[in-house]
Amino acid sequence: MNTYLPAFAWQSRAVLGRHIRVHLRKWHTAMLPPVCEPLIMLLAFGVGLGRQMSDLSWNGHPVDYLTYLAPGILAYTAFMTAFFQSLFSAYVRMHYQKSWEGQLTTQVRLEHVVWGEALWAASLATFYAVMVCVVLLGFGMAGALHLHWLWLPVAIPLLFLAALAFSTIGLLFTATLPSMDHMGLPFFLVIMPMGFASSTYFPLPDVPLLLMAVQINPLNHLAEGMRLLLVAGTPSWHLVWAAGLCLLMLLILVPLDLRLLRKRVFGDR
Amino acid sequence: MNARAAHAQEPVGRSAAPAAPLLLDARGLRKSLGGKLVVDGVDLSCGPGEVLGLLGPNGAGKTTTLRMCYGFLRPEAGSIRIAGHDLVLEADAARRALGVCTQDDTFDADFTVRDNLVQTGRYYRPAITGLAERIEELLERFGLAEYAEQMPETLSGGYKRRLMIARAVVHRPQVAFLDEPTTGLDPQARIAVWELVSGLRADGMAVVLTTHYMDEAERLSDRLLVLHDGRVRASGSPRSVLGDVVGEHIVVLPIAGAGADQVAAWLGERHLFSSRVLSNWHIPLDAAELAVFVAAFPHLRYEVRVPTLDDLFPALADEGRA
Repeated sequence: MNTYLPAFAWQSRAVLGRHIRVHLRKWHTAMLPPVCEPLIMLLAFGVGLGRQMSDLSWNGHPVDYLTYLAPGILAYTAFMTAFFQSLFSAYVRMHYQKSWEGQLTTQVRLEHVVWGEALWAASLATFYAVMVCVVLLGFGMAGALHLHWLWLPVAIPLLFLAALAFSTIGLLFTATLPSMDHMGLPFFLVIMPMGFASSTYFPLPDVPLLLMAVQINPLNHLAEGMRLLLVAGTPSWHLVWAAGLCLLMLLILVPLDLRLLRKRVFGDR
Repeated sequence: MNARAAHAQEPVGRSAAPAAPLLLDARGLRKSLGGKLVVDGVDLSCGPGEVLGLLGPNGAGKTTTLRMCYGFLRPEAGSIRIAGHDLVLEADAARRALGVCTQDDTFDADFTVRDNLVQTGRYYRPAITGLAERIEELLERFGLAEYAEQMPETLSGGYKRRLMIARAVVHRPQVAFLDEPTTGLDPQARIAVWELVSGLRADGMAVVLTTHYMDEAERLSDRLLVLHDGRVRASGSPRSVLGDVVGEHIVVLPIAGAGADQVAAWLGERHLFSSRVLSNWHIPLDAAELAVFVAAFPHLRYEVRVPTLDDLFPALADEGRA
């Protein structure tokens, strides 16, 4: 069975449609996190913490912390939402709700369920990123933030690709975590290292080993690329690097996820 | 043709295939799980308007066999055809023709009863014609209409099973697989499910069900397939299966009664087995053995009855020990 073609199959769309319908049923509560989280982060860190510090030196120019933080939050939202959906939510659907098993007794097969989960995680992450853009625009209209707003639509497709790639890491843990009690492990092993070893929240210190290590962190390239795009108005190689690393993740992790999930769900192959 | 009548005179085994074209035709199924062979060379078939009961003690391989037949597990050997379609080579067509009610409740907890049926319908192509009407029909027929807008977790166990069976047939399949559809239900709910299963048979569907309840198997099934240690131990009508595995008569006598030691010695000499049920021995005997028993113990008080499917599992367990 081809690994990638099922992403375009009607069964994967049916699974994706299922997730969208469930989300729409709860839209009034589901809308709160994508609006409130960036709002709190920007107010607490960008405005609150930013007022306590002088301008940062970024890319040879002084920049205030709110402006520095805003593109990073956009990248981090795509990362975190996709990871959480494909890990926690998918695990609950697979293990506790048994909705995967319900789908697998129809014409839907495992590769469709997995692609449906990945596409849903990426779609939701992109939607959340769009909501972050709306919040950023609000800050812009209030005169607190100055970004190259016209580049925002360009950022969205790349955020979708990145979220799709990040979802494959979440699915890897969905396939391998022994139980719900181990749910903290991926946060400790992936989210914190990837989040902090990137330029999401602060410029990285000039440590050669660290700077070499972050070259393979797609979140670092995504955050820095978004920053160059939205703050300096310059498309950069960081975006190309981010896209390349994300494609590489999809190439490596999708077959691995399918193999491990097949073993987990069917228990025999 | 009434399938029950068609199979009433059939001998045991695959030669007893129904005259109508088979909707389920599985041959030589083999499967290992965790390094242990759990299904070994199982054949099963089911025709239109027929209910095939899959029986066996825990670990006999019933659920694994069923899961292979509906495409959840891949057999290591053997072939499965659903309504003429190979389950591997023509997976979409085969899966379109089958419906599944799993042992656990696998309905979608995020949707109402009605939306569960709508969403299940979306997992099939070609799309179900008249889906909205079909769902209304199922809600009425399965007694779910008044709960249509409720979430499934608010339903009682019996109604959850109704929903599970309704989901299994929403796309009008030709073969329905029901894995222990009445486990954990009270008697009234069980009878309601039996009526639904009978309705599916009347619709011309081939129904394959597993159960631990002997009365259920006897009442619902046109044919039985008894699995033991992953192999077919017997198949055919309930009567022929009993004759094959258990015998013709069951002698029931108290364990603590007079003459019990002599009976135990008599059984030992003949390598016959007895199962212990509460304070009684249940001894399966054929006509000749019964005649010898009667002659050997003329003054003993005991009861002789015809065997039921309840005698099947002790007999299988004894075979296992032997």
